Amino acid sequence: MTDSDALRVMVVDDHPLWRDAVERDLTEAGLDVVAVAADGREALARFPAARPQVVVLDLQIPAPDGVQVTAEMVAHDPGVRVLILSASGEQADVLAAVKAGATGYLVKSASREELLSAVRRVAGGDPVFTPGLAGLVLGEFQRAASAPEPEPAGSALTERETEVLKMVAKGLSYRQIAERLYISHRTVQNHVQNTLRKLQMHNRVELTRYAIEHGLDAD
Amino acid sequence: MSHWSSPAAVAVADPLWRALAVLRVILLLNTAGVSAYHADSYERPGAVAVALGVMALWTAVATWAYAAPRRRTPPLLVGDLALALALLAATPWVKGPDFAISLPSFWVAGALCAWAIHWQWLGGLVSGVLLAATDITLRSRIDQSDYGNAFLLVIGGTIIGFMCGSLRRMAVERDAALHRAAVEAERTRLARAVHDGVLQVLALVQRRGTALGGEGAELGRLAGEQERQLRALIREQDTVETSDPTSRAASSPARQTVDLASALTRLQSATVTVSTPGFPVELPAAVADELLAAVRACLDNVRVHVGEDAPAWVLLQAFPDRVEVGVRDDGPGIPAGRLDEAAAQGRLGVVASIRGRVDDLGGTAELSTGSFGTEWELVVPRAALESGA
Repeated sequence: MTDSDALRVMVVDDHPLWRDAVERDLTEAGLDVVAVAADGREALARFPAARPQVVVLDLQIPAPDGVQVTAEMVAHDPGVRVLILSASGEQADVLAAVKAGATGYLVKSASREELLSAVRRVAGGDPVFTPGLAGLVLGEFQRAASAPEPEPAGSALTERETEVLKMVAKGLSYRQIAERLYISHRTVQNHVQNTLRKLQMHNRVELTRYAIEHGLDAD
Repeated sequence: MSHWSSPAAVAVADPLWRALAVLRVILLLNTAGVSAYHADSYERPGAVAVALGVMALWTAVATWAYAAPRRRTPPLLVGDLALALALLAATPWVKGPDFAISLPSFWVAGALCAWAIHWQWLGGLVSGVLLAATDITLRSRIDQSDYGNAFLLVIGGTIIGFMCGSLRRMAVERDAALHRAAVEAERTRLARAVHDGVLQVLALVQRRGTALGGEGAELGRLAGEQERQLRALIREQDTVETSDPTSRAASSPARQTVDLASALTRLQSATVTVSTPGFPVELPAAVADELLAAVRACLDNVRVHVGEDAPAWVLLQAFPDRVEVGVRDDGPGIPAGRLDEAAAQGRLGVVASIRGRVDDLGGTAELSTGSFGTEWELVVPRAALESGA
């Protein structure tokens, strides 16, 4: 793939109206929609051949659901970026998808510009957080901190990461955060990225602990 | 008692009938053993052998007959008990008038248990009384153990019947509860699908409408309003489903708790964004109300000082030792010295009210202001929450 190639995007949504609207917006903006799918099975079947850089994924799709699809896509191609586009914004589902490897979340009522900017940012490796998602992620780390099991080394947030995430949750843009903390825009992005990485690591540690406790590690 | 034939009642009765089949064989072997031991004292040993043959045959027939629910009919049960009574009645003729142990001995318990399983306590009582009465009337003299056996038959039959009835009732109730839960889950699933569809359309109208501008934009704004309300409603419903109803019912009104996360989510609007953890944050109702009032005061302040349409953000964080609520706006901030000036003129109404509310809860309310806007940080320790309110 050369630099002149347009960004390769896949759109997964079971509502044809929505799928078409998103596809049109992306195409008009010069992005290359390499595949569309209406459900989880279709999405996973078309994913390997289409090799998208970014997957715009609705969480509420016919089985397998968005969380499972995210996990399998990321397992198949760790370089893929998954942007969750959800209407109902069911908190637990969004969190599960982010833990499974999604790097962005946007509510469907977001404007065309917001969508395009989110796709581009996610493609560049930049996590796209909404304040709501930042609040959920903060909650996960608060829950982990008060759990009886000791936290795995290096998985807790640093003070600075917590500070940055709190600001995201209070609606500050990365630029505003950078100004307020006297750090560079890039540093803010790094902190947010680390937060996401630690959350996903947490998830893996939890899964491993669960597997060991339940004797699923035998093979 | 019309629900006896329900699948759940049959399912719970089946193991009882199987256990009874095993019991009958044990009782038969016992009777055969006892008869063989006393064989030389009988008046008609040949008749004893025939009676044992009949009992063995009936044990086999009963095992087969009771195995299928459709064959467990009154004629079978009546025949079962009648045979037991007939064998009992034949005892004086076979063993002589001064017998100690009746001809069928404990084998009659098979019929007794059958009645108890099928007709519950009443069946146990009736069959017990009939067997006991027959046994007693045939004897030329009644000693202590005869009376004890008769009494046990009546009481035991009734108790076994009562317990069988309870088992069935519980099975039927559990079945009904499971059914209700399944219906409820299905309803929730369907509601979710409907809600998702509605949210999709509302989001689409909002998105397209805003792009169209003019009247379309107005429609889009209305759709956005409805979308947020529906989302908050769904969120609230989820919290109700996940919270434990027994603990809720057990707590007295004074100790009632409120999920601050869902309460704050209700403040969400076109201009206010609320972020909370993904789990309920239960606080005593009085504390939650005070905090909520403080947050409302902060938001009112934003409307008054920054603008009617000014965006604001609310963040709730829950720690083991405290809860933190942040409220921020994107306004120009408060110029340095302005607060002191206001305080000097005694015009610190709102700020004082917010501070006052949080102070009363044993917490702190910090106000910071700058180019990033104005931000309230309300911190209330959990220790105060437990003892307070």
